[in-house]
Amino acid sequence: MKDIMRVKCLLSSDVETLINQQIKKEAHSSAIYLSMASWCNRNGYDFSADYFFKQAEEERMHQLKFFKYVLDMGGNAVSPEITNVKAEYNSFREVFEEALEQEISVTQSIKNIAARCHKEQDYVTLEFLNWFFREQREEEYKARRALELFDVIGEEGTGRWQIDKHVGQITYSSEA
Amino acid sequence: MQNLTIQSSVDFVEVFSTSAGAIFQSDSENCWYVDFAGKLARFDYRNILKLKKAVYHIDIEAMLLDNTKSPDVEIIFICACDHCYVLSLIQIIELKELLQGMFVMLELNHIIHDRLCRLIS
Repeated sequence: MKDIMRVKCLLSSDVETLINQQIKKEAHSSAIYLSMASWCNRNGYDFSADYFFKQAEEERMHQLKFFKYVLDMGGNAVSPEITNVKAEYNSFREVFEEALEQEISVTQSIKNIAARCHKEQDYVTLEFLNWFFREQREEEYKARRALELFDVIGEEGTGRWQIDKHVGQITYSSEA
Repeated sequence: MQNLTIQSSVDFVEVFSTSAGAIFQSDSENCWYVDFAGKLARFDYRNILKLKKAVYHIDIEAMLLDNTKSPDVEIIFICACDHCYVLSLIQIIELKELLQGMFVMLELNHIIHDRLCRLIS
């Protein structure tokens, strides 16, 4: 008997479901960052607003990368519905704390997909996920670095103004 | 809804069957034939997945607990597919069992193919 399922689609239904959940997660991240950009802009933190605009754009690009992968492999990519996007934050610092938490949760969920791929010996998807692991290294570094600025510079006096200025200059260059 | 008749030239392999029905695979046509509720319906790759999703999404427990006077009937209509099922609660359970068995057998077939391909290559 022919293996029609395999002929039509490279992904198992479990991996396909996990990637679709990841698509939603990336879309949610993008929406959260946009909301953070809005909050920063409204409160006068222009550099941070730009930083979050860029982050929102990147998350959207990640979403599309996953989306296209599912389609290219013969699966069914689902355009997600995004709800519950927080619009207000208590402080400038809280925005960055939540940004780091978001990145950590994204890394965890990509690890979860990779664990499933290992179990199913889906090396094709694993190879695809490697790009995201490298990306998460950068994302987590940037979010952590931004939070460190609060400790290093301090929020007293013109501290927040300085932090905002430095957020726009955070870069990450990895050796490998 | 027209009933299909199987042509003798079509190669059929039984994938899974229960007392309520059976599912066959046709390698030459790349499709499955579902013999259930008194009719034989042809499903291609996309439609069989849609049928699976539709049946799996029916909340059988909620239907059982529902004490309103509505009839225990569910209409399973699949977009861009010629077939539609009007099923009672018992039939939904039977169809779900049939589909679950089918997908387990397909998974098993996939594992065998996977192992064989690696041995040969």
